Amino acid sequence: MVLEATMICIDNSEWMRNGDYSPTRFQAQADAVNLICGAKTQSNPENTVGVLTMAGKGVRVLVTPTSDLGKILACMHGLEIGGEMNLAAGIQVAQLALKHRQNKKQQQRIIVFAGGPVKYDKKVLEMIGKKLKKNSVALDVVNFGEEDESKSEKLEALVAAVNNNDSSHIVHVPAGSNALSDVLLSTPIFTGDGEGGSGFAAAAAAAAAGGVSGFDFGVDPNLDPELALALRVSMEEERARQEAAAKKAADDSSKNEKEGESTSQDATMSENVGTSASESENKKDDLMDDENALLQQALAMSMDDPAATVTTRDTDMSEAAADDQDLALALQLSVQEGAKDGSGQADMGKLLADQSFVSSILASLPGVDPNDPSVKDLLASMQNQPEELQLRNLNRRKMRTKHPRRTTNDFILFYSQVTSCGGYI
Amino acid sequence: MACLHDHSCEDHDCSSDWSLYKHIDVPKVSALNEAVPGSVKSVFKAWEQRLNSSEGFLESNEGDPELIVFIPFTSDVKIKSISVVGGDDGTSPSRMRAFINREGIDFSDAQSMQAIQEWDLAENLQGVLEYQTRYSRFQGVGNLTLHFPDNHGGDTSRIQYIGLKGEATQLKRDVVATIVYELMPNPSDHKAKSETGGGMSHVE
Repeated sequence: MVLEATMICIDNSEWMRNGDYSPTRFQAQADAVNLICGAKTQSNPENTVGVLTMAGKGVRVLVTPTSDLGKILACMHGLEIGGEMNLAAGIQVAQLALKHRQNKKQQQRIIVFAGGPVKYDKKVLEMIGKKLKKNSVALDVVNFGEEDESKSEKLEALVAAVNNNDSSHIVHVPAGSNALSDVLLSTPIFTGDGEGGSGFAAAAAAAAAGGVSGFDFGVDPNLDPELALALRVSMEEERARQEAAAKKAADDSSKNEKEGESTSQDATMSENVGTSASESENKKDDLMDDENALLQQALAMSMDDPAATVTTRDTDMSEAAADDQDLALALQLSVQEGAKDGSGQADMGKLLADQSFVSSILASLPGVDPNDPSVKDLLASMQNQPEELQLRNLNRRKMRTKHPRRTTNDFILFYSQVTSCGGYI
Repeated sequence: MACLHDHSCEDHDCSSDWSLYKHIDVPKVSALNEAVPGSVKSVFKAWEQRLNSSEGFLESNEGDPELIVFIPFTSDVKIKSISVVGGDDGTSPSRMRAFINREGIDFSDAQSMQAIQEWDLAENLQGVLEYQTRYSRFQGVGNLTLHFPDNHGGDTSRIQYIGLKGEATQLKRDVVATIVYELMPNPSDHKAKSETGGGMSHVE
């Protein structure tokens, strides 16, 4: 509950447009600032916080130290990004603002968000640090954004010069999926010097974690116990079913060597997928295909021929079912669903195969000439496709027994490459 | 113990003269540019202990001999003279500037403001030198700020003892400062009468 006056120095330089912190560096910084202001004002009602910007046309104080949180949050709106961050001037102006605080009993603290590059010398920064220490001002630095060895070194030297009895801290936040404010929650910038801010920080950390995965299924058991119970029970059933399926697959592998190398991956893959057993079987079958079949399947899907894809899936699953009767039940479920889709799409397929119908449609489309040779080739290939695919399925059976092992990682890599380039290689 | 004053000490007790330290509000004493936070409090003690540095002493940061010491009193005092015992080897302060009844003076303020009085200090390792004040200016002192800008050439400045001679007037200068205002209502701070058993209010 230490009585403190804080000045927060915001970086609104051009480097804050970058999106390596989500959504942008500037937005991540603004969230962190809001969080800090809340924490400071909560830990002691007489704490005051002020905000200034370091870039733009020059250092500008947006709000002098005040305990009114609304005023602080309001001043964060409508900030413009531009210019270059002036660290030394920012710190000096912050020191001046703190010097003229109303309640002289408050401890002085400056929090700097250093996103852009630092153009000052280490010597200059050390002198500034010494001056802050002499006037017993504490300094916290959040080093994010631009990564530069000299920048980190300079900021470390600055904080070391200011540091008096561990009251000043520096935090390096690398870019990544973690939000800037979440990372800061666990640092001494929030937890203060032991007490005080830790209450707010703990509550905020719990709220942040709870929003993601604190409560098991995003549902508070206190608010809705039946829903939480139902979700938990169904999750356990699903897990048991997947484990049984994985075990069966493991048994299969002892019979069929070809499937063996991917079962461990399959077990993990199926758990990761985690929705339905039939879909996990689907993935397993995809993994077991060799490269050519995979490529053809991708091509088929990209050519947007729904009937073909459904038939490939059907053939895959029937082959898998042949191996183990226990899987057949799950597969039947998916086949029924697939068949429903397939029946609808098979009609479409037949229509498309009817060349006269297709040409009439094409003629109605503006800019398409049905007598164009490329269009004719396309139609011809679409007609031939069903036959090709049947051939491919037969070949697959033969090739499967002959082809050497490949690691699943190669499959995944290749498959992702294939799909990413739209299937055209 | 030896008392090198120019009078014989059997007549009076030297230490009772330097008893103004009893009226110092020691928890609120603060210093700027001290190497060890809180070490300034060890500087105010009885006159007999002035050379005893077992409790620590006030030292400035490395390479910077400036020091500011802020001394609030529990009641208004009149200061007659000040005694400062410094460290050896050039770490004794060489100049002293005093400000009264001003809070929150930092180094830039101290350098720009006119002090109420300034002294040139000599190295006073035995603690026998005292520096008289212009007594008329030091009546009704609620707090005293001492600024030591320089020393005798050492890397840091060291002060072992600061003694104040004078009178305490039993008057309080800033009564309002001791009130704590409530910024946000806190129900636990206010025990309603009903909680403690109730009872009708009555006037006697």
